[in-house]
This record gives sequence, C-alpha cells and structure tokens, in this order.
Amino acid sequence: MTISEITQAILNGTQTAEEITRYYLAQIAQKNPQINAFVEVFEADALAQAKAIDAKKARGEKLGVLAGVPVGIKDNILYKGHKATCCSKMLANYTAAYNATVVEKLLAADAVIIGRTNMDEFAMGSSNQTSVCGVVHNPVDTTRVPGGSSGGSAAAVAAGMVPAALGTDTGGSVRQPAGFCGIVGIKPGYGRISRYGVIAFASSADQVGVLAGNVADAATVMEVISGKDTHDSTSIESPVPHYTQEFTADLKGVKVGMPKGFLDGLNPTIKAQVEKAAQQLKAQGAELVEVDVPLAKYSAPCYYIITSAEASSNLGRYDGIRYGYAAPNAQGLADYYEKSRAPFGLEVKKRIIIGTYALTSERYEECFLKAMKVRELIRDDFKKAFSKVDVILTPTSPTTAFKIGQKDDNPLSLYLADLYTCQGNIGGLAGISVPFGKDENDLPIGVQFYGPILQEEKILNAAYHLEKAK
Amino acid sequence: MITKKDVELAGKLAKMSVSTEEADIYEGQLRALFGWVKDLAAVNTDEVKLTNVTLAAHTRKDQAITDLEAAAKLRAMFAQEMDGQAKVKKVL
Repeated sequence: MTISEITQAILNGTQTAEEITRYYLAQIAQKNPQINAFVEVFEADALAQAKAIDAKKARGEKLGVLAGVPVGIKDNILYKGHKATCCSKMLANYTAAYNATVVEKLLAADAVIIGRTNMDEFAMGSSNQTSVCGVVHNPVDTTRVPGGSSGGSAAAVAAGMVPAALGTDTGGSVRQPAGFCGIVGIKPGYGRISRYGVIAFASSADQVGVLAGNVADAATVMEVISGKDTHDSTSIESPVPHYTQEFTADLKGVKVGMPKGFLDGLNPTIKAQVEKAAQQLKAQGAELVEVDVPLAKYSAPCYYIITSAEASSNLGRYDGIRYGYAAPNAQGLADYYEKSRAPFGLEVKKRIIIGTYALTSERYEECFLKAMKVRELIRDDFKKAFSKVDVILTPTSPTTAFKIGQKDDNPLSLYLADLYTCQGNIGGLAGISVPFGKDENDLPIGVQFYGPILQEEKILNAAYHLEKAK
Repeated sequence: MITKKDVELAGKLAKMSVSTEEADIYEGQLRALFGWVKDLAAVNTDEVKLTNVTLAAHTRKDQAITDLEAAAKLRAMFAQEMDGQAKVKKVL
C-alpha cells in the first residue's frame, strides 16, 4: 500500500491503524528471515502506537499526515528506550536516552515506528556487508547485495515490509541502495533535516534521507521530517514546502542539466537508460542543457579523505569512557583504550586509520587540506551549473546490484560504487534516485537528479514525472 | 609510499591495536587509496580559501543563555566549582 492509501483507509474507517500495523508485522515475520532487513522489530510498541492512533480517531481528534503509517528507522537513529547499535559490536548494548528529532517528528505525525533496520557498520559501506547483524539480501534477487549503507531500510521497503523507512546518506547511502532495490531514495541538501539524535559518521556530509516505494510517498515523509531544529546548528531556517503540492502538470520551462562526460565509459545498459530518461523528460516539456562540472570527477577521493578524517574524530568518543564497549581487566590507560576500541570491525578500523593518517602533520597538507580545497572548487562548479539549470540528471550508480561477496577483495571497486552519489555530499546538494528500467539480468537501474540546496521540490518534481513516464 | 609501519603508527595514534594480519590487509588497500588521492595534485588550489561553514545558507548568531533557571540547576549538580569551572570526579 502507498502512504496515501494507508492514511485514507484509516481516515475513511475502512481499516484501523492496528490492522495496518498487524499486516506489516506479518509481512516482516514472513520475509525478514530471508532478507534480514530488520535487526529488531518493536512489535509491542508499534501495536500500542497504532491503538493510540485508533483511539485518537475515535475521540474525533485530528490525525497527523502519517497516521498509522509504519516506518522503519536505520539502526543509527535514536528512538528513546530502544537499542541503537549502528550494527556494531561497539554499541551492542547501547539504548537511546532520547529521541532523534526526526523520530519526534514522525511520532508527532502519528507514524508507527515498527523497527530498526540493518546497515553497514557505522554506515561505512556500499553493500551492507560490514554489518555485524549479517548481510542483507536484495529482495529483487536474494543472491545480491541491497547496496548500502542503508541496505536494510531499502530492502524493507522493496520487500513490502514497510511503506517507508529512514536512512542516512553520507556518500550515497540512501540513493545507491534505493537504486539497487528499485525504489525511491532522497537525500536532502545539507541542513534541510536535523541530525540531532543521529549517530555521527562524517558531520560535513551526513544527512537523514527517506526511502519509499514512490516519489509522492518520499515527498510526504520529507515534508514531515524537514525543517530547522534548534538542537542542530547546521539545520537551516527556511520554510518547508508542501512537496506533494509542488508537482506540476508537465516539465515545461524546466531545464535539465546533462553533465559533460558523466556517461563516458559507463556500463552501456545504464548509459542507455539515462539517455532514455533524458528523452522522456524532454517529451514532457523539459529542456536538456549540457553543463560542465569538470572537477566532479575528483569527488570520490575527496570524499574518502574528508569523511574518513571526520570519522576518525567522531569515532574517538568510543573509548570505553564516554561511549561504547568498556574493556575489563585493562593494564593502564593506553591498554584500556586499545582494548575498549577492539570491537570495531575491519572497515571501520580502516576508515579511522585512513583519516588519522590523512590528518598527521606529514600528510595534512597534501591529503586533508588538498581534499578540502578541491571540495570548495567542486562546490563552485555545481553552483555555476545550477545558475543555468534547475536539476542535473546522472546515473545513481555505475552498476546494478552485484553478487554478495563479489567485491570483497577489491575495496577500491566498492568505493567506486559511490562515484555518482558522493558528489552530492561533497557539494551539499539535494539528490534523489528513482528507478528507471532494468538491465539484462532484470535488475533495477536507478537514475539520479541533483538539485541545489533548499530546492528539494525541484528534484522531487522531476523524479515524479520520470516515474509517471515509466 | 605507505608502509606497514605507517599503518601501525596511525593505529597507535587512533588508540587502536592493529594486528599483523590487519596491517597486511590495510597496507595494500591504503596504498591503492592514497595512490588515487594523488590525482588531486593535478588540481590547482593555490587561490582557494576554505569556508568555515559548509554552505553560505547557514548563518551565525550568538547563542545567549535564556533559561537561567536550568543553567543554575545544572551548575548545582556539580559538587564543586573552581575558577568558574565545574570540578568532576577523576574517572581513571
């Protein structure tokens, strides 16, 4: 069911929130053993919430816009009284002491939080293979990865276990799994959604995003969770549009940027789908305009240096004193730190080492400072491009979903999975992946729209029209 | 060229123990990654100035304490103050 179908059914009285919740709990019970999208289901709490919504309706009170809609939350988003582990041994016993702002907003809109979803450990990964809770299987083909790091959220939506889920996106972690699983995933521009109560990975790039079955559902959830939050100084004071009311009849007057060189060397099937998408947009009135973002090709190395450096700082808090596992029987302070930080997995340790190395006095200028400066230039490139166009069209990923274990030996090839998505985090842009066609193995292909900060309505509208064309 | 010694040093700086097996794995992977990072040298960044905040849309404003009662409650929770700083118990 779509979000509007659920809320209408509850408003009309054809179904109760409890019935809806029980339906999705049954879907999870049936499908999760094979997919492993949820690491915990909050059955009792979800049913209690649903009953409270039904009682509210019975009293004649106004219901929120997500009344009775079950939503999954990624395991790095705090929900008071519930575990939030980042799918890491480091936080295996951590229970949230407060609600993330996005959770507060979901609850205020009468959504039902149904469980926490699997993810790459500390959101570091593009395939959901670094989770200590086990690999997530792509519902389209269970021998393949769902993408990552929000692979659990994407798989849960794609398998029909929830109509929508929250993820986080630091380098493509919402859009890439959305593309791999054939659903919609949106990452807003930096500052549109509060990150208060979201466990930090790389603070200059992290954003909460939405995964949903269609563009209108993604827009509805975006509308609920966006906006300034005094608890997060990076959130921006700006009115939140009614995104679903911003959908236009056609794309007349909309300029779609086609970045020069972005499709060179790309998998021919994916390239053909992006070109086809461009023609569909043109058929609906859009004007295709070639734009130049020459330095965007440096986004991936910048991304890996900057985010790893930030991670090495953010994850310093897991020292057994402030947060995380506390080692027993340590011999002195240095030993205590080392033993308490031992539960980090291989990928997390590697990123901390990359970041620490890039920040050493010997490497700081040539690595970290250089990457930060190139980032400024990349951002300028996008700013110039958006002075000419409304949105930019790109592939979401250079490949479709790959086999579980296929890229284990070559981490650089895994890092390249973020090639088209990490540009958005480096530039602070809004980005959305929308499914458009399939490859020769019947696997979904995602295409992506970028838009300027605080103009999410533009990418939602373009994605909405492409979805209709499909 | 990144060596195993660099990996071990970075691990030490990050207060993590890195086993020999891990150092072997990381050495090759980091060498490949930092080789890729060297591509950035081709970009002329001589005139680039870093901005403090990620985007110009963010504004700065002074944060004034408005809830004096809450501030007083917080301060009262500390056993002792010294030179305007709260004194807390030694942990280790």
